[in-house]
Amino acid sequence: MANELLFFMEVLVGGLLAGTMYSLVALGFVLIFKASATFNFSQGAMVFFSVLAFCGFMQDFNIPFVLAFILAALLMVVVGLCTERLVLRPLMNASEDTVLMATIGLGYVLEGLAQAAWGVEVRRLDLGIGDFPVPWIADNLKLFISALDITAGLVAAIMIIGLFLLFKYTKIGLGLRAVADDAGAASSIGIPLKHIMLLVWSAAGVVALVAGCMWGARAGVQFALVDLALKALPVLIIGGFSSIPGAIIGGLIIGAVEKILEVYIGPFFGGAIEGWAPYVLAIFFLLYRPEGLFGEKIIRRV
Amino acid sequence: MSDNSVNILDIKNIEVMYDNVILALHDVSLRVPKGKVVALLGANGAGKSTTLKAVSTMLASERGKVTKGSIDYDGNSIEKQNPSQMVGLGMVQVLEGRRCFGHLTVEENIISGAYSRKLSKGDINQELEKIYTYFLRLKERRKSQAAFTSGGEQQMIAVARAMMAKPKMLLLDEPTMGLAPQLVAEIFNIVKELNQKEGVSILLAEQNTNIALKNSDYGYIIETGKVMLEGTAESLLNNDKVKELYLGISKKGRKNFRDVLKEESLNKKIN
Repeated sequence: MANELLFFMEVLVGGLLAGTMYSLVALGFVLIFKASATFNFSQGAMVFFSVLAFCGFMQDFNIPFVLAFILAALLMVVVGLCTERLVLRPLMNASEDTVLMATIGLGYVLEGLAQAAWGVEVRRLDLGIGDFPVPWIADNLKLFISALDITAGLVAAIMIIGLFLLFKYTKIGLGLRAVADDAGAASSIGIPLKHIMLLVWSAAGVVALVAGCMWGARAGVQFALVDLALKALPVLIIGGFSSIPGAIIGGLIIGAVEKILEVYIGPFFGGAIEGWAPYVLAIFFLLYRPEGLFGEKIIRRV
Repeated sequence: MSDNSVNILDIKNIEVMYDNVILALHDVSLRVPKGKVVALLGANGAGKSTTLKAVSTMLASERGKVTKGSIDYDGNSIEKQNPSQMVGLGMVQVLEGRRCFGHLTVEENIISGAYSRKLSKGDINQELEKIYTYFLRLKERRKSQAAFTSGGEQQMIAVARAMMAKPKMLLLDEPTMGLAPQLVAEIFNIVKELNQKEGVSILLAEQNTNIALKNSDYGYIIETGKVMLEGTAESLLNNDKVKELYLGISKKGRKNFRDVLKEESLNKKIN
């Protein structure tokens, strides 16, 4: 009995921590959705691009770890700057659908650029954190939990707190929320849209880099990261597209649920339900709670 | 009223096109003297909003363009400015339809108006308290989400938000649209007070001719993109044509627009 409970705990904790990796990816989507009300299809490509550049700096140019990370983050700021200048500004008066299509195009450009610059082979990313159980926890709590999962959890927590404080208590955060609500009105009182867009895309780029590092360390830095980022879609549907806490909780729910289903119900389906179970969950949310758990309610006065 | 130093806003013969084909304004000239309230009157689609957006340079975001004429604000042409620069120069537009930030609280909405100014937290609170003296109702509701406040309160939020930018000139686009008469009066009282105590010049677009003229110094009436009539508020209120067309009163009793048109075409035939 005790063993079974322990096993369940292990599955649950492992799932929750793996979920924070989804949360990290979802966070990037939320940032951009808040500011431009657009689902950024290029987020996956940004994850791939940023972490491949990071690896490239380290492995091709022998730049030390920290410096390479800073360089990659700066590169993402440049990407944000170019995106604002070359894609978003010309489309300023275009509909949200047009911007959505533009992000798909942007995604292809980034994928192509990344592979042209750094090659197509799978790279190994060593963060110095192993993807194996931490001995201390295994000995004392009898739980086998990966060090990488714990790190991802901590990193996600720090980023969430940071972003929450930024949005809630800083001037630029207020400006960003104002633009998210009504860009026209924001511009009428002197909030410069281009600064806000630049900030958001750069922040999303840096978040993509962090998420990419975590995923890259686990699965190798490769093209599949682009598609993996789409796992964030059910996370966003459950958590709400416009909510940072929603991205986190949504990620945790997806992580935990998919692991638990895989272990306990998977055998009845012949296994491997991890891949599609989150989407089924997302469909239920779309039916019964379309704004997600924490999404901004569609406020309509009557 | 032609001396430049006296006019904070001087619009000369502007023509405005949307999408390079739709002519929205033919020929609009208009002056706002420093510290005065000027009403811009006319029906739906007459070009009131377009005129205001031409002044605040917000036309560009709607694919509109001033194709002829000039607009001078505070002695300088506004041609090369963008909306946030105009706010920096002290010209703030309160857009039609209130446009509050629904998910922000009332207070956050108002504070967002100070975005273009470099103020410390303490300064912001001081300004906020000053603004609340004009909008007592908003102080009570400072923590509510703006989307859940009433239409009148939202209009007040929009004006209060604009005042946080410390404007020299306010452009108000139909501030009383869809509001109950009592609220209309309340809004106009606040506008009047802001004008007198803070010295803000105001250009006001309204359909509610009567109350707008009663609270203004000067008025312009535009129709299909042209200024048809201008004069002091008093002279317009007493003008028979204005009474007939916009106030619905005449010597022969109440009339509607169709009757006036009929009468005019009859007169033309006789002449």
